[in-house]
Amino acid sequence: MTEVGVEERKLKVRKIKRTRREAKYKHYPVVEDHSTAAQEYWEPIVNTGLWAIKGYQILKGPCGGGTVEEALKREPKEFMVIDRAAFALYSHSYGLVSPFFRGLLEGKLKGTKCPKCGATYCPPRAHCWNPKCRVADCEWVDLPLTGVIHTFTVQCLAAAPFEHQLPFSMGWVKIDGADTTLAMMFHIPPRELFIGQKVKIKFVPKEQRKGDLTDCYAVAVPGQKVPKWACLQKDPEKLESLEASMKQTIQFIKKRYGIDNSPEVRGW
Amino acid sequence: MARDEKVAICNGGIFRPDLWHGENAEEGVATAYQDLLKNVPNLTADDIDALCMSYFSDHLNGQLCMGWIIQDYLGLHNKPGYRVESGGSTSIDAIVNAYYMIKSGMFDVILIPGWEWMCEVSVAATNEMIASAADTDWDFPVGGYYNAFYAALEVRHMQLYGETCEDLGKIAVKNHNNSTHWPYSQWVSQHGTAPITLDDYWKNRLVCWPYRVLNCALMSEGACVLLMATESKARRFTDTPMWITGVGLGTDSMRPGDRTADFAYEGMKDEAKIYPDFVDPIKTPYPDMANFASLHIAAKRAYPQAGITNPLKELDLVELFAPYDGVELALYEDMMLCPRGEGKTLIREGVVEYGGECPSNLSGGLTASGHPVGATSLYYTLFLYWQLAGKIKEKCGPNGLQVPDARKALITGHGGTGCQGAVVTFESE
Repeated sequence: MTEVGVEERKLKVRKIKRTRREAKYKHYPVVEDHSTAAQEYWEPIVNTGLWAIKGYQILKGPCGGGTVEEALKREPKEFMVIDRAAFALYSHSYGLVSPFFRGLLEGKLKGTKCPKCGATYCPPRAHCWNPKCRVADCEWVDLPLTGVIHTFTVQCLAAAPFEHQLPFSMGWVKIDGADTTLAMMFHIPPRELFIGQKVKIKFVPKEQRKGDLTDCYAVAVPGQKVPKWACLQKDPEKLESLEASMKQTIQFIKKRYGIDNSPEVRGW
Repeated sequence: MARDEKVAICNGGIFRPDLWHGENAEEGVATAYQDLLKNVPNLTADDIDALCMSYFSDHLNGQLCMGWIIQDYLGLHNKPGYRVESGGSTSIDAIVNAYYMIKSGMFDVILIPGWEWMCEVSVAATNEMIASAADTDWDFPVGGYYNAFYAALEVRHMQLYGETCEDLGKIAVKNHNNSTHWPYSQWVSQHGTAPITLDDYWKNRLVCWPYRVLNCALMSEGACVLLMATESKARRFTDTPMWITGVGLGTDSMRPGDRTADFAYEGMKDEAKIYPDFVDPIKTPYPDMANFASLHIAAKRAYPQAGITNPLKELDLVELFAPYDGVELALYEDMMLCPRGEGKTLIREGVVEYGGECPSNLSGGLTASGHPVGATSLYYTLFLYWQLAGKIKEKCGPNGLQVPDARKALITGHGGTGCQGAVVTFESE
């Protein structure tokens, strides 16, 4: 395979001189700005050119309609396939529920409560969604750092930003006092995990917090026994097959990222 | 006041789903359109009053307004046309939209081109872009895949109603083996026509417990077109029109986690009493994070229009939109083929197998035959059209799974974690 034409197409990321970002709403100054690192990393990449073609392959494949069999009977064709990169950095507002995410930075959980029907929301809603309450404005309430697992899964596959953390468990927790449930990651071995399990909400070290839901995670309140009816542990063979898959995932992550996610190392 | 005339699916054309096609989207749609023109030789451009373009993502191909490319490519750009988009619901909503457009009396004949080219970016990136249909502030940052969200929904259902991993395996085996009888299947293209067993299922890679790869929808590239018309016009295009007898739409919360206090559905189903004792009470017992209220209410809206009172008895087959096998099981319940919590018995007793009382996903469905989102529900509607016309053997060869004397069928479609859904019922003459 020829490499001609590839060298001059190589992605060139040039440093960009940073200028102060303009406030979105010009009548008020920026209150806080923690976006510098992301700007410095992403802007040069974006600047290499949206939609600019970075390379190509010639691929062979079947051609034309009909059934699989009919397509495979025809002479395959060669197709030119280009690599086109596209990036964007969005500046998205958390809106009226911003206090929840600022609360995460301080290691607190906040919810909202409807003054009319009394429903308590975590995730918070700025306006009550009970049709009877006519989108009433909700009030902020402080919530405890405890809750109950409503449902869960154990992941051996995850989206790119979370892949290096595999395998892990996530699910939804009903924070004590709330009526809705909040998605979060669990630092709980699958062997011990069950619906109805009481959990404590913990936070990553302060300097690592970003103001999103990965700032917090749930751990089991100690001393709970896995009930007989727990769906994951009911069949020991299935639990073992899950644990075998997790071991394979740990090996894969070690090879790919050089990160050791085995329970002995990370503690869960 | 809607027009009285009935609306029919008159035929369609396929460009089969696969993991990758060299042809790009407009060429794929044109190939499917050629197939339609072959199936309906007297159809001309002049017959078509309007188009409903069905495709889900702008991100996957980095092209906005792809619908304009398609209309132009087919030479139909002098017609009224617009795009329908609602995540996984897109393709069934295109059918529903076309139905409403015809029922309004404004149009007689509508062409629905549907497509999705999902493999231009990596599978991880495609999954990430699809996951941006989840709440990106509250759900996406915690794992970021529908695989995980749907797995957690299934775990809740499993804990409440006691189905097992084996039940999910049985659905996977049923659907993959069904798909080997469907010569347009992506599974057939990738893996051939050898049947699989539960043993293969247990050896299959685990994605998010309890789901294995075989339980999850495929990434596909493919296209399908459907032709829809009023009763009077339909006769010109087909001798075997498939009438739309009922249409229902529904929506539910964006975040599945909010369905424990789902006030809009309060009182819809008082089923707290069938919860096991160990489950803590929640504000609204239905749908919880276990069932799909959007689709249940859609069925409740569609069935009376179609005069269906006992769906299990009256429907000859169903095509359930199930990106994950637990969804199929929950939909047995939400389509009222059985009471809530009894979905497992339908797969255990073979009710939903070929030859059973109400076969489900004889096409193979999303996990086996393919899921190019904008074309998905069009494919499976076309499959039902052939079923109700008695043409499966003609289309699929002697191994095709024709339901004898099939007259009534149902299709569902939905997006997100059941955030939006539709149910359409069909009947042959």
